[in-house]
Formats: sequence, structure tokens, C-alpha cells
Amino acid sequence: MSQVTASGPQSVLSGKPLRLIAAAILLVNGMFPALWILFTSLKTEAELTVKPITWLPHAPTIANYLQAFSDQPLHIFLFNSFMVALLSTCMTLLVSVLAAYALARLNLKYRGLILSAIIAVSTFPLVTLLVPLFEIMRALNLLNTWIALILPYTVLSLPVCTLMLVSFFEGIPRDLENAAMIDGCTRLGALFKVVVPLCAPGVFTAGILAFVNAWDEFLLALSFNSNPALRTLPVGIQLYQGEFAFPWPVISAALVVGIVPVAILIVIFQERVVSGLTAGGIKG
Amino acid sequence: MEKQPPAWSRLLDLSDKALAVLLLAPAGLLLSLIIVYPVLRLIYTSFFSLSLTSGLPAEFVGLENYQLMIEDPVFWETTWNTVLITLITVPGALVVGMGLALLANLPFRRQWPVRLSLLIPWALPLSFAGLIFAWFFHSEYGVVNDVLSRFGIEGVIWFNSPNLAFAAICLTIIWKTSSFMALIILAGLQTIPRSLYEAADVDGAGRIRQFFEITLPLLKPAIVVALIFRTITALQTFDIPFMMTGGGPGTSTATLAMYIHQNTVSFLDLGYGSALAVVMFALSMCVTVIYLRIIRTKE
Repeated sequence: MSQVTASGPQSVLSGKPLRLIAAAILLVNGMFPALWILFTSLKTEAELTVKPITWLPHAPTIANYLQAFSDQPLHIFLFNSFMVALLSTCMTLLVSVLAAYALARLNLKYRGLILSAIIAVSTFPLVTLLVPLFEIMRALNLLNTWIALILPYTVLSLPVCTLMLVSFFEGIPRDLENAAMIDGCTRLGALFKVVVPLCAPGVFTAGILAFVNAWDEFLLALSFNSNPALRTLPVGIQLYQGEFAFPWPVISAALVVGIVPVAILIVIFQERVVSGLTAGGIKG
Repeated sequence: MEKQPPAWSRLLDLSDKALAVLLLAPAGLLLSLIIVYPVLRLIYTSFFSLSLTSGLPAEFVGLENYQLMIEDPVFWETTWNTVLITLITVPGALVVGMGLALLANLPFRRQWPVRLSLLIPWALPLSFAGLIFAWFFHSEYGVVNDVLSRFGIEGVIWFNSPNLAFAAICLTIIWKTSSFMALIILAGLQTIPRSLYEAADVDGAGRIRQFFEITLPLLKPAIVVALIFRTITALQTFDIPFMMTGGGPGTSTATLAMYIHQNTVSFLDLGYGSALAVVMFALSMCVTVIYLRIIRTKE
């Protein structure tokens, strides 16, 4: 660089080259695995078994994507994942909006205790509930239904979403609700007509967290649904694996199909997701 | 003209107390059905011999399941693997996450690439990460061995050796969880006032001293919270080893969660599976109690 700057640790550490290197490290760390799977999904089986391995696909093909949909009912896995995630997100939001409003506004006597209980529940290992939930779902005849997943997924995100919403609701001035109530709204009316719309970004962020949680869950989906027509994506993806063969290009294509919906959500709402995650969501 | 509220809404004009009960009821019911009752049921079942494959009715056996467990080498092996994964990946994710957060905190003109690079690993399902990294560590066509060979290091068959398979799993977990750690730490970093560093510059403190005397102490609360949550989730490790090795070779990379799943879903031995789960539950609750203590002292 031609520009003369004062040297010293300060200028070196905050200089442009360092920022470029930092950005490169961050991007490679964050994106490389997903990109590599994308490259793999575009390669032919023949190109995949060339040594030394190629990095970029030489003759990109979408054949693996077609095969991913014909070898297994990938569209059904996608549909199941989407519906289960969407329905449990809606349930989580409804239940946590109500609970959060009570905790934020109603001066409850046992508020601290309830909040502690919520935090404790959010740390709960779902895997330990495998046996009793399995028994409950069996007794209620819910094994091999969406409900067997929707109920636990709702509870999975409920604590985090409730805690987030409590802090959002507390940020809304009470006067606005009081004004609405003077105008003839009930408290519940004020909640849904005034507080929730004002907190829409927060409610939305909580919804994305709940959606991602449900979209990602694997253990319960694997354990409760043996019916092929009800498999979710993480469970279905395992099925591409033959007894001896592991068709990596096809699996990669299926993985890309599974990553894209959530990736789109993240790309569009990145700023909000980060603030939501760091404000209230502490689960990863 | 005053608008009259509709009749149904007047019905809902309850006292604060009644309204609180009404609003908290759905959450309470769900938590009771999915958490509270199952926990009680879990403890109860652990005292029974209840195997769906034996066809025998449930029989009260007292502590027999727990005694079996103590004599079961697989229980000890999977528990040890779980503890080891926790001891390796939690500090590992903290160190890597701290590094990523410090890089991400540089004054970038555009923030979105940084945010995305931290969010994508967080949003990627654990099970997908397991599959993707199984492909990375593939002995012949994996990118890891390819990179190693470019440095003149002969590639290894990662999943044939217990130690290498374990290492590959830990690396994958660290990659997957460090980004979330970085997000939490980054949020903490951005609350530290710049003036503190300016004052330290005037006093002639170097960058490294500033890190240890300003950054680290002020980040402590965020780090503690992130560490405890990571510990709790590490104890539940299932998806990544299940996808990468299926617990193999042998049971050398199986975790306690995988062993619970196997006993419950594959062997349908609900009594023994429950006893295993009670142990994990107790482990996890210990960490949670410590967590609640720390949060309460912070408030």
C-alpha cells in the first residue's frame, strides 16, 4: 500500500488485510461444509471416485437431485418436516404468548419461581423422556402420527420462546394497553390487538427459533415414527444408505434440499435471528 | 359514541388472578404431559422389569435394573464416552467460539456475511452435520484426507480406529457448536465500552494484556451461561455420533443417549432404558442446579 500510516500493533491489528483474512476464516469455517455438500451433489458418481479428488464439479449435473426424489419419497419427508415444524411453531407461539403475557404483566406472586421452573425445563434432556413419552404415545395411540412429534417439539421451544417474549412484552409501555382497555378492549383483546402486533418482530424471531428446533430434531422423530409415510427429513435421509453402498452424491443432493429452506429463512431474517438468539435463546 | 365490547369479550374480563391461571394453563398442561408426568413415570418404570419383547407382564424388581447397570460394561463405556465428549467439546467450542467472536468483532463494513457465517452452522441440523462430516472424513474420497495428503501426510481410515473415530466426532461437534458460542460471546463483546480500551491504550497496556484484564472479565457472565448450556446439551449427544459412526467401531463411540435409545427402541427393554435415563437425568439436573444458582446470584 502506498499510503503511509503510523506503524505499531494497533494499526496492524485493525488494518484492512487483517479484516480480509478474518472474513475469509469466518466464511470458510461457516460455509465450507455446506458448500462442499453442494459441490458433491453436482458431481457424477464417476467424478466422485477419481483420485486425487476434485474440488469443483467439472461437469455439474442435476441427476443426483432427480435420483434423490425418485429413490426415496424426499418430497414426503420435506412435507412432513415442514408441517410438523410449522404446526409446532404455531402451538409454541400461541402458548408462549399467553404465558409470557401473564408473567410480564400480571404481577404474579410466584413469578420468580415460575421463571426458574421454565429455565430448568429448558435444560431438560429430551432423550431421558424417550421411554415415558414412548409409553404415553403408545397408550394414546399417537405413535406414527404428527401429533407424537408436535407435542414434544412445542414443549422443546416453549421455555426459550416464553423467556424471549417476556422480555419483549416488558419493553412495551403499559399505557398503550390501558388506552386500548379504556376504549373497550378486554385484557386479552388488548394483548392480541396491541401488544402482539407491537412485538411482531420479537414474536416472529421466537417463531423462527421454534421452527429451526423442530426442523432439526432427530431422536424423537427416529423413535416415534416407523411409518415411512410420516418420516421427517433427518430420519428419511438415513434411508438412502444401502446395506453396503453409500451413494454420497444422492445423499448430498437430499441434504442440500433439506438445508435450503432453513438457509433461506436465515438469509432473510439473519439480523433478527442473531438478536433473538443472544437476547433470550440460549440453546444450541 | 362509546363502542360496547361484544358479549364474549366481557366474559373474559376476569380478575388478574383468574386471568393468570387461564393464561398459564396451556403451558402448564403441556409441561405436565410432556415433562412432569413422564419424569415421574420414568422413575417409577425404572423399578420394574418391563421388556416388550419378552411378552412378560411388568414386574416390580426394586433396584435390580440399577444393579444390572453397575455391572454393565457398556453402560460404563457409553457414560465415559459422554463425559469425555463433554470434557473435550465444551472447552473446545469455547476456545474456537472465542476466536471466531474476536474475528467477527473487527470493524467490518458489511455485517451480514459475518452473521451468516455464524448462523449457518447453528441452523444446520446436528444429524446433517454428522452426515456431512462423515463424508469429510471418508478415507478415500474425503476432503480431510485430501488436504492432509497435500501437506504430505498420509490419510488415515478415520472410522476404523476407536480413537480416530472419537477425534472426528469431537471435531465435528466443536465445529457445529462453536458458532453459537461465538454469537453469544460476540453479543457480550459488543457491550464492552470502547473507552475502556482507549484508557488502557493510554496506560500503555498491550493487546494481550487488554484481553486478559478487560475483555475476559467483562465477558465472564456470557461465557458462564453459554458454557453451562453447552454442557447440558453435550451430555445429550446423540445425532452426530449416531450419523457418523453409529457408535462404532464396536461401542467405542456410543454415548449414553445412544444406549438409552438402543435399549428403548431397538430392544424395547423399557425398564432398563428407564434406569439409564434416570442416571442421565440426575447428571443433567446437577448441572442445571448449578446454573440456576449462578443466574440467581447474578440478578
